[in-house]
Amino acid sequence: MEQILNRLKQKIEIKSVINKRADLYFITIKKEHIELVLSHLKQQENFTHLAFLQAVDYIEDDKFQLTYMLYNYDIKVNLGIKVFIDRDKSEMTSIHKLWPHAWQYQRELKELFGIDFPGSPRVDESFVLEGWEEIPPMRRDFDTLAYSVKTFYQRPGRTTNDPKRYMKEKLYKNFAKSPESGRNDE
Amino acid sequence: MSLKDIISPFNVWKRAAQKPWTIKDPLNDRPGADNYRGFHKNDFDKCVGCGTCEDICQNAAIDLVPVQTVETDMSDSGLRPKIDYGRCCWCALCVDVCPTGSLTMSNDYTWVTDDPEEYRFIPGADKMKWDDCEKGYKRAENFQLIDFDRIKMNELGVEERSSSFIEMVKGYSKEQAIEEAERCLECGICVARCPAHMDIPEYIKAIREDDIELAVQILYKTNPFSASCGRICTHHCEDVCSLAHNGEPIAIRWLKRYILDQVSPEEISKILKDIIQTNNKKIAIIGAGPGGLSAAYYLRLLGYEIEIFESNEKGGGMLRYGIPEYRLPYDQLDKDIDYIVSLGVKINYNTKISEEAKFNEIYNSHDALFISPGLWNSIPVNITGEELPNVISGIDLLNKVTNKEEIDLGSKVAVIGGGNSAMDAARTAKRLGADVEIYYRRRIEDMPADVEEIEEAQDENVKFFPQTTPLEIKKDGSGLKFIWGNNKMIYEEGKRPKPVLIKGETFETNLDTFIIAIGQNADLSFLPTEIRDNIETKWGKVVVNELGQTSVEKVFSGGDASNSKADAVSAIADGHKAAVGIDRYLNK
Repeated sequence: MEQILNRLKQKIEIKSVINKRADLYFITIKKEHIELVLSHLKQQENFTHLAFLQAVDYIEDDKFQLTYMLYNYDIKVNLGIKVFIDRDKSEMTSIHKLWPHAWQYQRELKELFGIDFPGSPRVDESFVLEGWEEIPPMRRDFDTLAYSVKTFYQRPGRTTNDPKRYMKEKLYKNFAKSPESGRNDE
Repeated sequence: MSLKDIISPFNVWKRAAQKPWTIKDPLNDRPGADNYRGFHKNDFDKCVGCGTCEDICQNAAIDLVPVQTVETDMSDSGLRPKIDYGRCCWCALCVDVCPTGSLTMSNDYTWVTDDPEEYRFIPGADKMKWDDCEKGYKRAENFQLIDFDRIKMNELGVEERSSSFIEMVKGYSKEQAIEEAERCLECGICVARCPAHMDIPEYIKAIREDDIELAVQILYKTNPFSASCGRICTHHCEDVCSLAHNGEPIAIRWLKRYILDQVSPEEISKILKDIIQTNNKKIAIIGAGPGGLSAAYYLRLLGYEIEIFESNEKGGGMLRYGIPEYRLPYDQLDKDIDYIVSLGVKINYNTKISEEAKFNEIYNSHDALFISPGLWNSIPVNITGEELPNVISGIDLLNKVTNKEEIDLGSKVAVIGGGNSAMDAARTAKRLGADVEIYYRRRIEDMPADVEEIEEAQDENVKFFPQTTPLEIKKDGSGLKFIWGNNKMIYEEGKRPKPVLIKGETFETNLDTFIIAIGQNADLSFLPTEIRDNIETKWGKVVVNELGQTSVEKVFSGGDASNSKADAVSAIADGHKAAVGIDRYLNK
């Protein structure tokens, strides 16, 4: 594996290498190098299988992280290729020419994170969220609670209690309670 | 046709003899993965009903509801989460955030019923088939959404502090305070536990939002002694903090102090904008301690004219004369008192009510009285030699230090007792240059003193002799000879372990000074016989009702002389309660 990475290093800059397990590595590269790296790994190093492509929203850094998970059947090693892209202009090179099935992953990311892959087949078709009108739901600024309160009705008969108020009612409701004084009462 | 094409159909046939991979009875024989996020379980012994699960739920699937099997008490709201499985998406955020770790998931995922109402259930209360299921999702050890570690407080080093009376705790900076405030889950369980029922989550929220003005206003609603309480409060609120079950509780006391540290006395007036509309009714208060002054503050806000009678030269009571300066600097206490006085509260210092006539005059010329004389009589140990000149009480020592009197304790001192007064006396003696030993009947863990005070005393090299009984004090040249014995602890189910003297194991220690700090009681001798006979007392404490009223209608009472907790915040709560009580009594 070390040789594979060394050969890759001669071509491009690798920002970090994490060796999670004997059969699991992650590397971080620049997003411009993605096609070069993936085609090199597929064609020269036998990482023939693209297992998945997924994203993480690093909202604090204004970035999305994409992970391309590859697998090599000969040496039985998983290799994750990570890139960071801007969150505002969230766009990435499509890799459907390297792995045709990547179009489906890219369509999913378009819908759930709003990351565009220009040229990727059927990228604008809805994936699971038919008729979705909100911001993409996997973006961390999407307010899940507000959405569920707005969209789904509550079953009738639900009541809840605030611990602070409930304990006052149960344990000390008459403490310093005066009809005269506005200040001492809630 | 190749040979392979001929053989391969037979190869397939050999599978017929192998065990099938499919499951025969998938409903009964297919358990979830070990870490599967299946149906919820809640350990009622751990759950305190803080409602953090409800707050984090992104589907609004959780309600907090009372359950029959759990009583509401000072550390448990008595409420438990009820989950609507019509909304739950089994994301497990509730499990990840649960501060006590009571909420977990089983790996069971099949549940069939024809009544949709059943899918709203209270894990732990309603008996479920997966209750005993060990497997399922639990928060991993190294993964937590909650910050369980408190922001460290800067303190003077042991060397520096053991020889000076400079305040040892330095206080939080703004960044530290906001960071600490961000840990608060806002469950509000602490509010019930605080004797004064301060709105702790609200003032912590104000710190987080850097709104000091609002924070000051919230504090004064229930406590006009926040600069002092922010330093010396017994902070039982922190004992019940929902973070305390698996980590360090919010530093509620230090955060309160932080608020008052940010404002000058002048700013307090500007922020509170208290306007007094006098109602011409007069209230007399005996004792200008935290109880008396709190009553004065809240009564003054209600428009009453207040006259306080205080035997000492300054106000603050035990906060000034019983708590050493390194824990509560006098200027901080003055900050609290000065604001109350600035509202037009009159205090007569150096005025001890010692004659019946004086008391009767006060009694007759005021509409109501609040008595909060405090506990100034040291309880004796009842051993031979207690009357010797170098035997003093802890409260006397602390009093003398406050009054800056000349004190010579010599080089070796023993303190008897295990409460905060004993720790204060011991640590004060240490600062005056003596070697100090503490003798206590029970074990260290049985001491009523705050754990911090015990640890700080140990850090300062005060030696502890737990499980000892003082037997006799003798004069020995210019010093004393102290004779004591060892105790063994007798354990009885459901009772506090009892110390029993081991016969024959007695020791002698040479001392210069012997300090008694096993407790204090109230001196009610200032009351005229007729009133004293009518005021009900129990175990030496004045008995009051919910309004702070004694069995003599016009007389209200509070503070150490009437409550059993005998700490500052309870006295403050008593003062607040009685102020409202007096107002109700005079307006009924």
